[in-house]
Amino acid sequence: MLRYLCERLVQSAAVLAVMSFVIFVLIGLMPGDPVDLMISADPDLTSADIEKLREIYGLDRPVVERYGNWLLAALHGDFGFSRLFAQPVFDVLLPALGHTLTLLGISLTLALVIGLPLGIWAAVRPYSVRDYSVNLFAFAGISMPSFWLGLLLIILFAVILGWFPAGGLGTPGKDGWADKLIYLVLPATSLTLASVGGHTRYMRASMLETLRQDYIRTARAKGLSERRVVLGHALRNALIPVTTIIALDFGFLFSGALITETIFAYPGMGKLTFDAVMGNDFNLALVCLLLATLVTLAGNILADLAYSWLDPRIGFEGKKL
Amino acid sequence: MTGPAPSSTTTVAANPSTPLRLVTRRFLRHRLALVSAGILAVLALASLLAPLVENGLGLDANTVNLFNRFAPPSVDHPLGTDEAGRDVLLRLLYGGQVSLFVGIAAALTAAVLGTAIGLTSGYFGGRIDALFMRVTDGVIALPLLPLLIVLAALDLEKLGFAPETAQAESASLYRIVVIVALVGWTTVARLVRATALSLRERPFVLAARAQGASSLRIMTVHILPNLASPIIVATTLSVGNVILLESVLSFLGLGIQPPLPSWGNLLTNAQELIWDAPALAVYPGLAIFVTVIAFNFVGDGLQDALDPRSLERGNR
Amino acid sequence: MRQAGPVLTTIALAALLLFPATAPADAAADKPGRDQLTIGITQYPSTFHPNIDSMVAKSYILGFTRRPFTVFDQSWQLVCMLCTKLPTIENGLAVPETTPSGKKGIAVTYTIRPDAVWGDGTPITTKDVQFTWRMGRHGKTGILPIEFYRSAYKLDARDDKTFTLHFDKLTFDYNAINSFSLIPAHVDEVNFDADPANYKNKTAFDTQTTNEALYFGPYLITETKRGSYVVLERNPKWWGKPGAFKRIVVKVIPNTAALEANLLSGSIDMISGELGFTVDQALRFEKRHGRKFRILYKPGLIYEHIDLNQDNPLLKNRDIRHALIYAIDREAISKQLFGGRQPVADSSVNPLDWVHADDVPKYKYSPKKALELIVKAGYTKLVQGVRHHKDTGEPLRFEFMTTAGSKVRELVQQVLQSQWKAVGIDARIRNEPARVYFGQTVTQRKFTAMAMYAWLSAPESVPRTSLHSAHIPTEANGWAGQNYTGFKNAEMDELIERIEVELDKPKRKELWKRLQEIYVTELPVIPLYFRAEPYIMPKWLTGVKPTGHQYSTSLWVENWGVK
Repeated sequence: MLRYLCERLVQSAAVLAVMSFVIFVLIGLMPGDPVDLMISADPDLTSADIEKLREIYGLDRPVVERYGNWLLAALHGDFGFSRLFAQPVFDVLLPALGHTLTLLGISLTLALVIGLPLGIWAAVRPYSVRDYSVNLFAFAGISMPSFWLGLLLIILFAVILGWFPAGGLGTPGKDGWADKLIYLVLPATSLTLASVGGHTRYMRASMLETLRQDYIRTARAKGLSERRVVLGHALRNALIPVTTIIALDFGFLFSGALITETIFAYPGMGKLTFDAVMGNDFNLALVCLLLATLVTLAGNILADLAYSWLDPRIGFEGKKL
Repeated sequence: MTGPAPSSTTTVAANPSTPLRLVTRRFLRHRLALVSAGILAVLALASLLAPLVENGLGLDANTVNLFNRFAPPSVDHPLGTDEAGRDVLLRLLYGGQVSLFVGIAAALTAAVLGTAIGLTSGYFGGRIDALFMRVTDGVIALPLLPLLIVLAALDLEKLGFAPETAQAESASLYRIVVIVALVGWTTVARLVRATALSLRERPFVLAARAQGASSLRIMTVHILPNLASPIIVATTLSVGNVILLESVLSFLGLGIQPPLPSWGNLLTNAQELIWDAPALAVYPGLAIFVTVIAFNFVGDGLQDALDPRSLERGNR
Repeated sequence: MRQAGPVLTTIALAALLLFPATAPADAAADKPGRDQLTIGITQYPSTFHPNIDSMVAKSYILGFTRRPFTVFDQSWQLVCMLCTKLPTIENGLAVPETTPSGKKGIAVTYTIRPDAVWGDGTPITTKDVQFTWRMGRHGKTGILPIEFYRSAYKLDARDDKTFTLHFDKLTFDYNAINSFSLIPAHVDEVNFDADPANYKNKTAFDTQTTNEALYFGPYLITETKRGSYVVLERNPKWWGKPGAFKRIVVKVIPNTAALEANLLSGSIDMISGELGFTVDQALRFEKRHGRKFRILYKPGLIYEHIDLNQDNPLLKNRDIRHALIYAIDREAISKQLFGGRQPVADSSVNPLDWVHADDVPKYKYSPKKALELIVKAGYTKLVQGVRHHKDTGEPLRFEFMTTAGSKVRELVQQVLQSQWKAVGIDARIRNEPARVYFGQTVTQRKFTAMAMYAWLSAPESVPRTSLHSAHIPTEANGWAGQNYTGFKNAEMDELIERIEVELDKPKRKELWKRLQEIYVTELPVIPLYFRAEPYIMPKWLTGVKPTGHQYSTSLWVENWGVK
């Protein structure tokens, strides 16, 4: 078990290292480096100026050398400065990360709290009206383009009803979590609606599968109440694949909030990554994207561990995932 | 009651009609899926008939009329006109062509790619498997955004495409299909690999191997048919996701480029018009919504129909 | 198992959700005691340093907190803001001289306002001027604008408040030092001297953005939330008329549809013209809410146009270039799409600019003339609606590019495409994200035929970099210059050089006229229209006067008031 975990960690580190290079090259390949952007903004630059600017921003070196320098510094804990914000990368990134974690934490919790019971509730009576309604609700949430959903929420709850602010982080000058919470309502609702359907569906499928198992039949045969069968016996096992899928979704969630953040003017990781990539902020974009990769890989490992732990038929040794 | 084991390829190969009929019967019992399939068929048909409608109305989908913007529905324009005075119905139908094509083409390409990789990985196992799965991890973690920008900047002419193709307005369409396929094959690959991994030790595979069948033959003839149902289900579900993804890419300005309409870019264009011409936003929004839901239900129905254990459902 | 009816219900539900949108509600009625103004813009400034990177969001916010020495006012006259008197040759404060290297130069003397102090009370002196100039001249810092610091080769501080700048060229705009933004020596000199090359990352503007000593305008930046908002509060040390609001909050809402919703829901009071609505969005907004909001449109120095790549074999033919402009109905576009708020441009010079010449050739919409020219050029064969050359069989086909995702441009583009199609010209739209388009395609002249975008400029700016043949970007010169069309015209080159050094206004106007004549007859560029910036303001807000050029309204914030 420990050996397997170590192996996975080493492999993931290798993937991460390779990815850092791939991302570095990818960003390098994108047309228009920072100096190109400056040239289009300042008409008076001469070719000598441009050369000098390239040197100032370290863009006169070949990509491999730049990557080497970056890696060396990064291994010493120096991730450089954001070009756009002229601040150390992590000073820029941490507040955004905090906002994202808050928003995702709330919406993930809500989605689970609503989605899982709904999925179970539907699975207990499959192919009933109740099941169909739950399915429809689940699919409805995931079938709307996120910007559309967000805009509709703003129009309904901010403009027409005036219940919640249309967007932002908080009222300037006001502190305290109550104010911040009000601002979180709409974006969190938007994200929750978009993901609750998935959780409901996974839970329903997994529960259906579990309820077919022999030991559940045995439990039923013993005359246990349906409630005890479902919640006492089946739930635990049915939850494991759901956990796996949620863990696999981590990376997506992390960067997938870009649209919601844009519509609700909520400065999180998605928007920061987008701006960094679009503004050719090399260091910042790199770290943002690598962080997303890291989360995805971590999610993968967690998923595998959860899965192996559940299903003893798949041994750690034999399984070369 | 338990259904036939998933490894019964022999029956599939020997008598294909019985299981097919069984599957069809099960699918037909799934009402929501049936209704959805019907809706999809109507949408697809309508989209394909767009040129006929165009002729029938005597209009051209791309001809702009600045003096007839935001016209209400009329005989000439059954759904009115848009911000450039074009017929909304035609734009929607052509948009449907584009959205459905992108969704289906990208999902299929991804499925083929994923099946090939997953099958090879699962069948051979060992080092090949380890390598392929690490590549899969990498692709899953690959950031979409810079990739899209890099691809948007790629000079197709330099890649050897004829200028005619490179300058065609549909180039953005193929870019999206390629990108989605490039990053989207991992789901199918993982699914296929996991099943192939367990199938390769099954007696019927071992028997075929003993008879000296080539790896390629074993993979395609003996293993692949058993993988059909998860692949079909996953592909159906991903069509809807691609259509959604296309709309989000349009929102970011990285999607299908005008004048080629897609439901995604129609909806994106209409977001500012929501107060003045809400219909312009409602139609494409509804089209995306209904289509994606329908693909989900069809996928759902197929899953139940293709999964032998769901025979049970009638018993409860 | 039951009937699967809910699909229809969902559709009805979705429709219900969507349709209330037709009945707009107006929040944000009158609030008593207005001591705060909340402004919505679409972009958050990256760095706050005035001399690193140029960005509209930054100029807008810094406009509340800082003042340039000189600037163009709303009537496009050069005025002093931080100096006491605009130096001119006539008043003796500007003296033409010969530079040590024998070039024609000029010495210009400015005096800082005696009451000017930084936000912490420290007087603004020539020490700050010297520090800023030294920093700009350093060359390894990435401080902009490079050209200004190159040309201002010498600085003499006469006393605490008076200094003389020596320029190594004598141009008509010798006294405009609009972009010379002072940096407080008593705050940032240590950061600079410690490590000039790394200064851009260490400057107090970004490490302590809310330091009052960095600002000297009517307002100070007191709080920032990156990506979300900037809070400005009255500067007690401000020497001029105090601002009407205790606090001004600038809120960033990147999506314009959401921006509108924010305005309607009352979470912002106004939308700035600099970074807000497009004209067509504003026109629609005005129809619905014109009674509740005041909407100002100021067409200005944002010149929308289409660059024609002169290397394109088809576009080398002047008749084809003329055919292209005759075939499009710019008047109708301006009227129908922009309610006449964005006037058609006859050339690159705005009619409000004093050097504008009206008696130059103009192109009225005439598909007939366009066809004649096309036929004259030999494109007589019509194949599937597209004209082909009678001998070579070459189609009249162009690639037509602009920024992807910019809705107004995309709309105009499709209208133009449709109009060209009517005369057999096949314009193939291929758009790219702004990042690619401006990062490479336009700037490295990779567009094969037509590229639509806009120039933003100051009044009477000489089009040296966009029309002089020495400024064609090439790989050899590191893609410097902005002559993206590749326009080469000896007379134009000469005119540009003469205009720059002609100090006599009437003579200069003559030269400008000739320049515009060449521009419209040679037509390296199809002029479209001058873009307007719509300001959406509450009825109670007064005094906001759009400038129509690149300098923000916020530079005159002390004139804003409440009715």
